[in-house]
Amino acid sequence: MSNFPQFSVLEEAILVEKPEAKEPLGILFWICVGWIGLNIVGALFANVLPIENPLFQNYSFINSGPSLHHLFGTDDLGRDILARVIYGSRVSLSVGAGAMVIGFGVGAPLGMLAAYRRGRFDTILTNVMYVLLAFPAIIATIAILSFWTPRSLFKIIVVIGVASIPLVYRVIRTATLSVATKDFIIAAKVQGATDRRIIFRELTPNIAPIAISFLLIGVATVIALEGALAFLGLSVNPPTPSWGNMINEARTILQVNPWLVIFPSAALCLFLLCLNFIGDRLRHHFDVTEVKL
Amino acid sequence: MTETREPLLKVSDLVVTFGMGRHQVAAVAGVSFEIYEGETLGLVGESGCGKSTTGKALMRIVEPSSGTIELDGTDVIAQKGKALRNIRTRMQMIFQDPISSLNPRRRIKDIVAEPLDCWKSVTGDERDVLISDLLTKVGIDPKVYGNRYARQFSGGQCQRISIARSLAMRPKLLICDEMVSALDVSVQAQILNLLEDLKHEYGLTLLFIAHDLAVVKNVSDRVAVMYLGRICEIGPADTLYEAPAHPYTKFLLGAALEADPDSPVHGEVLGGEPPSPLNPPSGCRFRTRCPFATEKCVEIEPQLEEVAPGHHVACHYPLTISKK
Amino acid sequence: MSVEQEKLLVVKDLATTFHTAGGDLPAVGGVSFDMERNQTIGIVGESGSGKTVLSRTIMGLQQRTNVTVTGSVLLSGFEMVGASEDDKRKRWGTEVAMIFQDPMTSLNPVMKVGKQIDETLRVRLGMSKVDAKARAIELLELVGIPSPQYRYDAYPGQLSGGMRQRVVIAIALACSPQLLLADEPTTGLDVTIQAQILNLLEELKERLEMSVVLVTHDLGVVATRTSRIIVMYAGRIVEIGSTREVFAGHRMPYTRALLESSPKVSNASHTRLTTIPGRPPNLLKLTDGCSFAPRCSYATDKCRVERPELQAADEPGHMFACWNPLPKTRRTVRK
Repeated sequence: MSNFPQFSVLEEAILVEKPEAKEPLGILFWICVGWIGLNIVGALFANVLPIENPLFQNYSFINSGPSLHHLFGTDDLGRDILARVIYGSRVSLSVGAGAMVIGFGVGAPLGMLAAYRRGRFDTILTNVMYVLLAFPAIIATIAILSFWTPRSLFKIIVVIGVASIPLVYRVIRTATLSVATKDFIIAAKVQGATDRRIIFRELTPNIAPIAISFLLIGVATVIALEGALAFLGLSVNPPTPSWGNMINEARTILQVNPWLVIFPSAALCLFLLCLNFIGDRLRHHFDVTEVKL
Repeated sequence: MTETREPLLKVSDLVVTFGMGRHQVAAVAGVSFEIYEGETLGLVGESGCGKSTTGKALMRIVEPSSGTIELDGTDVIAQKGKALRNIRTRMQMIFQDPISSLNPRRRIKDIVAEPLDCWKSVTGDERDVLISDLLTKVGIDPKVYGNRYARQFSGGQCQRISIARSLAMRPKLLICDEMVSALDVSVQAQILNLLEDLKHEYGLTLLFIAHDLAVVKNVSDRVAVMYLGRICEIGPADTLYEAPAHPYTKFLLGAALEADPDSPVHGEVLGGEPPSPLNPPSGCRFRTRCPFATEKCVEIEPQLEEVAPGHHVACHYPLTISKK
Repeated sequence: MSVEQEKLLVVKDLATTFHTAGGDLPAVGGVSFDMERNQTIGIVGESGSGKTVLSRTIMGLQQRTNVTVTGSVLLSGFEMVGASEDDKRKRWGTEVAMIFQDPMTSLNPVMKVGKQIDETLRVRLGMSKVDAKARAIELLELVGIPSPQYRYDAYPGQLSGGMRQRVVIAIALACSPQLLLADEPTTGLDVTIQAQILNLLEELKERLEMSVVLVTHDLGVVATRTSRIIVMYAGRIVEIGSTREVFAGHRMPYTRALLESSPKVSNASHTRLTTIPGRPPNLLKLTDGCSFAPRCSYATDKCRVERPELQAADEPGHMFACWNPLPKTRRTVRK
C-alpha cells in the first residue's frame, strides 16, 4: 500500500557511506604507552633486574659521571644513580596509583550519584566539596604530613588521596551532569529501567572516557605533588630513594655533580609528559561529538 | 465520534509547578482532556505554553502538583516504585532531539531491546526475533545495521530507532513530543507516514505534541490548543482548523505559513508576545493580546464550554461557527 | 560589464570547499545567480544543501585556513572573493549585513543591547556618543521594540527570542546596508512571532530600499514574501526562477518532492504525505552524476553518470538542472 519496503533498500545504500571517521592514535601515543609500561615493569621487577643495590655505598666511586659501570653515574655516597632512579619510581608510581584509587574510589561514585540524583543530596555534598576545594590543598597536605609522624608511604598516599577527592568529585559530577540531562536517560526511565541500570548501562559508558583521561592526568599531578613534597623533605625518609628526594638531595651538590639532578628530573618529566599526552589523546579519541562533522 | 466510549486516558485539572515561593511558575495551570482509544489528539501551542510539560507529566518524568491522570482506569499519580515503572511501559514517549534520545555508545539492537531487558519479559531467541522484526518495521535492516552504534545514524534514522524502541513493550499510548521538528522536510514526511502505518498496525493511541500547525493537522483526529498553561480550544481537527472559535486559534492559524504563493497574504498578525507565566494576567490568559477583550475577560476566567458537538472553547465571546 | 555593475549582486561559479579529515567537502559546488536591487529572493534547501555556507561565502565570512573559495562574488561591482579582510570589513554593515538563526550567538550576553548598537555606529560611522545613543534608540523603535529608551539598557538575556532577533536586525541595519542576508531568521521562533519578524523585514526592505536574501528550509517562509527562489540540493542550484513559477511550474523532481512532502494546513487530517526515500547525500562521497539521482524515481543511467547543468525553461529567468524534467504543465499547489 505504501512505498515503505523500499526504504530498507535505500537506507542501506545511503547508510553504508557514513564511515566512523576516527583518527588513529598515532605513533607518538604508542611510544608514550611503551615508556609508561617500561617504567611500571622497572618498578615492579627492580629487585630482579641486573642493577646494583640502590643503598650500596661504594666509596671508590663518588660523584662519578656516567660510565660503562654506572650508566647514570654515582652520587656523593657512591650509590648507583640508575638503580636509585629505578627504585625511586616505585615510590612515585605507588603514590600516583594509590592516591588515585582513593580519589576515584570515593570521588567518582559520589560525583555520579550527586549529578544523577540532584536535589538536596547534591546540594549538600557539592557545597561540602567546594569548601574542601577552597583549602589550598598543597599547604594542607604539608601541614598534615609534618605533624603525622613517623612518615610512611602509606600515610603519604592516604593524605594525597583524600586531598584529591573533591577534585575528582567535581570533574565527574560535571561530566555526569552533561550526560544526565540528555534525552536518552529520560528515555531509559520511561522504559522502566531502574536507577542502577541507568547508572551502569547509560551513564558509565559515557563518562568513562572523560574519567580515564582525567585519571591519567590526575596520576601525573599526584606524582608531581609527591616530588614537591619530597623536595621539601616531607616524603619517604632517606635513604629510600624517590625521584623527588633524589632531586632534593642533589640540590646541595649541584655544581659538583649535575648528573645527580638531571637523571631523576628527566625520569620525572618524561613520565609526566607521557601520562599527560596519553590522557589528552584518549580524550580526543573517545569524544563522540568530535567525530561528527 | 464521541459516543459513550470510555477514554483511554483521562486527565483532569492537571497542574505542574516549577520553582518555589515568589518564583513559582505554573507551567501547566489546570488542564483537562481525554484521549479515546485509537485516536490521535494533537496538542499545539507556542513555546512556553506547557504542552511539553503536559506530556512529561503524563509519564511522571516531571511530577504533577495536583490533578488526576487515569490510564485505562489506573490512577497514574498514585503509582510508586516498581508499579510506576510498570505503568510507564503502557505509555511511551518519543522525544524531539533524535540524536540525544539514543545513547551514542550502545548498539542499536541493544537500544531497541532495552525495555525487554529491563523487564526480562522476552529473552533468548524470541527476543532477537522481536528486535529484528521491530527494526525491519521501521525501515532499518537489522542484519546490516543492528550492531552499529547509535552515533552512526542520522536524525531521521535515530527517530526510527526511537520508534522501534518505544513499540517493544507494545504500549497503548504513545506520546510524541515534537518528534519531527528537528528533521528535514523530506525526512519528516517519511517519519509521519511511518507513524501512521504503525499506529494502525499496533492499534496505538497518540498524543501528538507539536508547534507546527500543519504537521498536527495532518496526523490528528482532534486538536487541543494551549496558551500559557491552559487549553483554550479543543475539538475535531477539521472543524477547528476551518472555523476556529477561540481568537488565539484564529491568529495562530493566520500566522501559519502555507507553502503556496497564492495563499491569502498574511492575515492579521497577532501583536505582542505571550506574558510571563510567572505573572499570568487575571481573567482570561489571552486577554492582553486579544483584540476582542472586554472588562469581563479581565475579571472572569472563561472555562471550556461546548460550542458544537465535541468542540469546546474557553472564551466569553467565541467566534461564530456558522459559515466560512 | 556595465550591465553587471548595475546589479547588486552577481555570483559566478562560486564554490566553497572544506578540507576535512575525511576528504574535501564541496559544501557549495559551483553556484551562479544574480540579483537586482530592491528585490527579495529566497534560498531554499534542506540541511546540508549548502544554503548557509553560500550565504556566508557571499558575505566573505569564510576565513579559516582549511577552506578554499573559488569563483566570484561581485557586490555592487566589488569582488568579495579574495578581498582583504580590511576591504571586506569596510563593506560589512554598509554594503552587506547578515542576521543569523540564533540571535543569542550574534549578541554579546554581557553588554547592554543599546551599547551594542552604539558601538557599531561610533566605530563605523564616527558618530559622537550622544548622537549614537539617539540613533540607537531610533533604530530600536524602527524594528518595533516597545519603549526603546527603556530597552536600550536591557541585556540580551532579559529579552525574549523575538525581541532579540529585532535587536539583531537593528544592529544589521545600523549602517544602512544595501543587501541583508537573513539566514533562517525565524527558525527558532514561534509562529506568531515569526509572522511579526517576517512582516518587519518586508516593511523595512520597502522603507530602506534594500534587498533581502531569505535563506530558509521552510517553503512557507518564502512562498509569499519573495519574488525569486533558488532551490539548492547538495551544494548546487537545482532550480531557480520567479516564486510563482517555481511553485506552480517547477520542472525539477526534487522541487516537487520538497513541495509535496511538506504538510499543509489545508490538508484533511490523516492525509498521506508523498515522500522521497532516503536522505540528502554525503557531500564527501558525491558522484559525477546528479546528486538527487539515488532518491529520484525518474532517474536513468544517464542521471547517475553525468551531472545536468542548469538549462533555461520557457519563462525567462527560470532554469532547472535535470535530464528528465517534469512536463511543462502548470500545477496547482493547492489540493
